[in-house]
Amino acid sequence: MAGATDTALVSEDTSETEAVAAGAVGLAAVLFALSLASVFELVTITDPVAGVPMVALLGGLLVVLGFAVVTFGVGSRLGYVATDPRPTAGLLASGTFGLIWFVVGGLVASQTLGLGTAGWVVASLVTGGAAFAVSALPREDIGSTLPAGALAVFAGVVFLTGVIGPSWLWDLGWEQQASFNAEFTIPVLTAFCSLLVGWAAAKAYGGFGARGRHIGAYVLVYLNAISIIALLFLLVAFTVLKGLPGLFKGLAFGAGAGPEVTLVGVTFSLPVSWPFVMNGVALLNDVNGVLPAIVGTIWLVVGAVLFAVPLGIGAAVFITEYADRGRFTQVVEIATNGLWSTPSIVFGLFGLAFLVPRLGNQKSLLAGMLTLGFMLLPLVVITSRESMLAVPDEYRDASAALGVTKWQTVRSIVLPAALPGIVTGIILGVGRIAGETAPILLTMSGSVAPPGSQTVDVLGGFQLQYAPPFVTNPELMQATSALPYQLYSLITAGVGQSSNISAIDEFRWATALILLVVVLGFYAIGIATRYYFRSKLQHD
Amino acid sequence: MNVLPNSDGAGLRAAARRGLRRGRDFVDETPPDALVTVTVAAVSLLAAFAGFLAVSSLTAIPFAVFLVATGYGWLRHQELTARVLTLTTTVSTILVLGLILVFIFAEAWPTVQYATVNVFGVPIPGLRLFIETRWSPVTPPIQYSLVPMIHGTVLVTIIATAVAAPLGVAAALFLSEIAPRTVRELVKPGVEILAGIPSIVYGFIGFTILSPWAADQFDIVGQGTYLFVGIVVGLMALPTVVSVAEDALNSVPESMKSGSLALGTTDWQTMTSITLPAAFSGVSAAVLLGVGRAIGETMAATVMLRGSPGLTKPLYNVFYGNDTLTSLIAANYGDADGLQLSALFVAGVILFVTVLFLSIGSQYIEARMRRKLGGAE
Amino acid sequence: MSETRQTTDDAQATADSELAGGASPGTDQPLEVTSGETRERTREEWVEHEFEGEAKLSVSDLDVYYGDDHALKSVSMEIPENSVTALIGPSGCGKSTFLRCLNRMNDRIKAASIDGSVRLEGEELYQDGVNLVELRKRVGMVFQSPNPFPKSIADNISYGPRKHGDLDTGLLANLLGRSDDDAVDELVERSLQQAALWDEVNDRLDDNALGLSGGQQQRLCIARALATDPEVLLMDEPASALDPIATSKIEDLVHDLAEEYTVVIVTHNMQQAARISDQTAVFLTGGELVEYGDTDQVFEDPQSQRVEDYISGKFG
Repeated sequence: MAGATDTALVSEDTSETEAVAAGAVGLAAVLFALSLASVFELVTITDPVAGVPMVALLGGLLVVLGFAVVTFGVGSRLGYVATDPRPTAGLLASGTFGLIWFVVGGLVASQTLGLGTAGWVVASLVTGGAAFAVSALPREDIGSTLPAGALAVFAGVVFLTGVIGPSWLWDLGWEQQASFNAEFTIPVLTAFCSLLVGWAAAKAYGGFGARGRHIGAYVLVYLNAISIIALLFLLVAFTVLKGLPGLFKGLAFGAGAGPEVTLVGVTFSLPVSWPFVMNGVALLNDVNGVLPAIVGTIWLVVGAVLFAVPLGIGAAVFITEYADRGRFTQVVEIATNGLWSTPSIVFGLFGLAFLVPRLGNQKSLLAGMLTLGFMLLPLVVITSRESMLAVPDEYRDASAALGVTKWQTVRSIVLPAALPGIVTGIILGVGRIAGETAPILLTMSGSVAPPGSQTVDVLGGFQLQYAPPFVTNPELMQATSALPYQLYSLITAGVGQSSNISAIDEFRWATALILLVVVLGFYAIGIATRYYFRSKLQHD
Repeated sequence: MNVLPNSDGAGLRAAARRGLRRGRDFVDETPPDALVTVTVAAVSLLAAFAGFLAVSSLTAIPFAVFLVATGYGWLRHQELTARVLTLTTTVSTILVLGLILVFIFAEAWPTVQYATVNVFGVPIPGLRLFIETRWSPVTPPIQYSLVPMIHGTVLVTIIATAVAAPLGVAAALFLSEIAPRTVRELVKPGVEILAGIPSIVYGFIGFTILSPWAADQFDIVGQGTYLFVGIVVGLMALPTVVSVAEDALNSVPESMKSGSLALGTTDWQTMTSITLPAAFSGVSAAVLLGVGRAIGETMAATVMLRGSPGLTKPLYNVFYGNDTLTSLIAANYGDADGLQLSALFVAGVILFVTVLFLSIGSQYIEARMRRKLGGAE
Repeated sequence: MSETRQTTDDAQATADSELAGGASPGTDQPLEVTSGETRERTREEWVEHEFEGEAKLSVSDLDVYYGDDHALKSVSMEIPENSVTALIGPSGCGKSTFLRCLNRMNDRIKAASIDGSVRLEGEELYQDGVNLVELRKRVGMVFQSPNPFPKSIADNISYGPRKHGDLDTGLLANLLGRSDDDAVDELVERSLQQAALWDEVNDRLDDNALGLSGGQQQRLCIARALATDPEVLLMDEPASALDPIATSKIEDLVHDLAEEYTVVIVTHNMQQAARISDQTAVFLTGGELVEYGDTDQVFEDPQSQRVEDYISGKFG
């Protein structure tokens, strides 16, 4: 068979050449980290690092790295290094290299050499075609190292010679102006080159061939996974750090420190004073807070749950237990999935068109509750249905065999067995709607910075009357605030509207943090319950 | 089920007869007072719904009747009442989708009609919304072109997908196939939790950190770029893509993966040649779901964009960001009325229909995958 | 069946005298059904098998644990080249686990821990630096239930060689005129012929392999394993999910394969083992290798009483 090779079953200990390739991977990682640090402005490119300006360091390292990888590839081709390369680097690698060099050639021709359209197209085609050929035609050890190494050397030389120096600027020349400066371009190019060369070096470390490709791909996949986790973690950590000072401002403990509350006719002072969550916004407040928004969010969630959960579970019971599988259940399925993916702003529009005119013609807490309830409904149906389908049919048969009616079976067998799944789904759904801004923006938005006196008191608001509709609750029928809406309005509000808040920035970050805590709290509880019940099921 | 009706008409008649017979059997078998209770409940609920639609203050009366009838039925005829109640909830769920469709289409209609253009004498409603390029609701000539917003939404969606799809699928591969067990058990719930970060928090960070940085870095006049909105929205959609794609990859039978490995292939070859192709439908459904999220994402776009509808110049200039369909609605609903408000509903209709198609498309793909893998086992 | 019974009865006396523990089932109540748990101790000479030529695979003191479960207990055996070795025993006796140790497929099971030594032509498989890809190229495997890839029949066959880089039919190879299409066609035909499937499928090589019947799928999997040109072929109850006709086809196939390959086959069907194998290893409950030797000897004159009970159908 063509190209069949005899690979040893057991590879020897790490050879020197492997160490060189591993070193190149490590150097690429260092370069990548350095360039990330520059993008995030932890170091500036003109800062000296170990006596050398950053830009020269990056350029020099790129040249070294490029040469190392090319040397390895050539060494392998000439037989100095034992590897197991394929006859070609493959279409994907060749295409990628061709494209990269196409762009490089075009940019150099048009921007640096100043050639016209015809000029840069020709230059692009020449460099791109050459890179494709170099990568596709020779054996894999040349094909995957040479174009990558050459790019790194080229970039390094460009940085070292100052063609792209610290004061370099590329004005795109568009009608709406935008330009690339060196502070951004140099680190980004370095990062890109180090990724490419790092991949080539990882392939070389694996001796090319199937194993080399495996290692090369794993390096990229691991890097991707680590950066995603790091980025999302940073996001949360950043919000927490920025929000903490505002959140705990004025926090005090001790008997009688907190505000007075009346519970079951007994009035007493809370032993803790937490102004940010216990106050509203007022001119005379020492520390302004978001109490109305917190209470508003709680009532929103309660209302949405009261509306959506019975409806959703009922619908799930009907389609899993009563309805025959057919056209009807299919329609329900499509409808619920469609509802679930409907953008939240569309729910807002719907609330604005359907609910607001019918609920006193003004934005109100009730309209917000129902809108969020509509959003929650499909999720409750989907998760309830899934967990009811997971209940084994034997349970139902066993119950039916005892002569128990269908509804009693559902009530005493199916629902209890499916309860963990349903509860988890509801908690996750609540997490989602608690953080939604767009629907309540259109249906219940209140004032930008509500004072503490505007905290809704739904329970105390019910009134009975003799004319229809018999029960009214003005608290439900008026606009109020909620945490996500509060954050939005703090971002967009003009100076005048939030002038009562002195440290506006701190206040915003604290609001963002408390919103994050509330929403992620719901998610954490929901996911923890799910894993708990899942592991319990596995052990049974 | 494999007996085909002779013709559609005969089939329909047969179905109608069957339905009628079932109905008659139902009436015959059910005790009369239960029947009355259920009928009263059903009629009163319908009346309450009609009253609510008609904005009547009397809505509460039939609703109270419904509650009383249901309560009585629950105590005396629980079996039947439960059945009817769950049917009612199912119908309401479908009704919600129907109501959304009817109401946003109805509200959107005036502007669609206003934007009618005659092409060769044939009036085409709404065409002007798409052939003009100016959004000018106040200064004459009044135009409600949605082209700039569609342009913005398309740009943001493309960038977001370019971020979320490759990174998300790679991360899903990592979680499902590569990561050691302990890492997966830690990271998977972490990713799921992160899917819950409210979009306004992303928007806030984008608004306070990213936008000023980008304006400074790229020397842009003012703040707000499609590029960074796209990146933020892509990051937001990332956990969803990872989570759904991971489920799809996990559902590929282990026997298939071992079969490939036993032939002497590397893990990476098995992933790219067996696992990914076998899970292709599920993975693309995950990407479609992510695209749907990106299209419908509102708050990050609203706070990070400029809110001044218009095309960027040149069209591929992603360093400027004016408005998307979603941010148009969120930013203008307050002071809009009449035709302008109706134009916002047109934007909502476009969003709704697009995402609905994506949802149905991904459901179709997933059903196909289930069939395909079902055949493999 | 009656023949086997007779010979085992004859052998009873010898076997009894060799019992180490003293428990003597059999003679008094020949039809007593035991669980196989006797105080009989396994003797080392029961598992020694003399054969000519080199050992292809040699296993010594192999222990496997799944968590706290001791699945294989200190198993040692030598497997000769170009022969069929059958592993039999009741379910849960560790024979499949043993098989999966021979090409390290147990590495896929995260809870498994393996202790001991397996050597392929003298090279230790359980040591650092073993190239699993290379190992599995040389030691192929056919699984219990057919697991064709959701690709065409031809692609299933050529999958291994293409992934090993021995054959290239990619777009780029086609563009450069280096494509091995002819070699692929030849390989597909040869492998399908070997697996006795060619006549049934030669007119639909581009159809999806999932459309084949169970027996055809399993022979396709065998053809797929043969296409990578392994030295050893491991088969994990390859006929357990098949009907009698398909089973007999697979049995014939295994018999023929022994001319070129070293075949190790797990089966719970004793007649099958007796028909197709050159030597047989009997695993009994608890992951113990009790007896290993020439198939004729094991079936007609087993040294262990428990093996005799198992073979004569008293338990298992």
